[in-house]
Amino acid sequence: MTTSKTIQLNEDVLADNNQAAEYVRGVLKDKHIFCLNLMSSPGAGKTTILEQTIKELPSIYRVGVIEGDLATEMDAERIRTSGAYAVQINTNGGCHLDARMIAKILHELPLEDIDILFIENVGNLVCPSGYDLGQQHKIAILSVPEGNDKIPKYPVMFRRTELVLLNKIDLLPYLNFDVGVALEDLMGINPESSMIQLSAKTNEGMDEWISWINKSYNQWKEAMK
Amino acid sequence: MHEIALMSDIFTIIEKDWNKRNLEPVNKVSLIVGELSNAMPDALSMAFDIHKTYNYPFLANEAQLVIHIEKALAKCTICGESYEPDQRISNCPNCKLPSGKIIQGETFKIQSYESRDQE
Repeated sequence: MTTSKTIQLNEDVLADNNQAAEYVRGVLKDKHIFCLNLMSSPGAGKTTILEQTIKELPSIYRVGVIEGDLATEMDAERIRTSGAYAVQINTNGGCHLDARMIAKILHELPLEDIDILFIENVGNLVCPSGYDLGQQHKIAILSVPEGNDKIPKYPVMFRRTELVLLNKIDLLPYLNFDVGVALEDLMGINPESSMIQLSAKTNEGMDEWISWINKSYNQWKEAMK
Repeated sequence: MHEIALMSDIFTIIEKDWNKRNLEPVNKVSLIVGELSNAMPDALSMAFDIHKTYNYPFLANEAQLVIHIEKALAKCTICGESYEPDQRISNCPNCKLPSGKIIQGETFKIQSYESRDQE
């Protein structure tokens, strides 16, 4: 005779990912590495911003990059040319990076020789926002050509990030993008977020971004003591 | 479409627990999905059906997925009003300020699974 049985689990679906994220966070803390997770749509300019950031950062910082893409080694090669250590994760069609992928590849980087680790997530404004990768900060990149509607249409990404880099501001004179409305939308979703306007092409605003990294790095270092 | 990956995690968690017990294959899986959890119920249902085709030993062919939606709810830190947020999640409809904090709607859990006891 059989009877029906209900097993109560009440288990967080992302528990395994979050455990891996804590492992990554622990390794990075041991090695004194500050980690930023960059997320955006495809084509918003993540790799170009990274190339410029590596050039503009004070030379005291040694930079490592984990590149997340569906396929190819192209971005990692671009980053190596800029003078940083880079490893590539190919998700083979997967639309986001998760902490288990980071944990698996982390030790391929020369961790003793890195102060700041950037994770360039897969280009996607939805899926990556749900995954803790063990980073100190999550950053969203939005570009002017994508239009004003992206912040209200993809609120979870902007709710779960602490900073928005508005890229390609050199195109503002040619496109119907209203920065005031974008700021208003961002505050309406996440009042604790902030926005830095920049152009990785003309370098305008890059100094503010570099200052933000400096300040955040120093705050983190202070908290580590 | 990260729901495929999420469903893979869901199956792993259930299978691990199921292996510890002496049960018939699972015929019902219940999830709690918050409106702000970034997981879409329709996509989860589709991912469930796709995964079912892999014939996992712990899962019955007729297994069903039940999704309990957890409503999004915010509370204003200024006037204390609770409200169901719209696109501008933090904007309190009473104060008209971005003063709302999410108090519900981000849960994403496996609530339970159902199977028959083996006697």
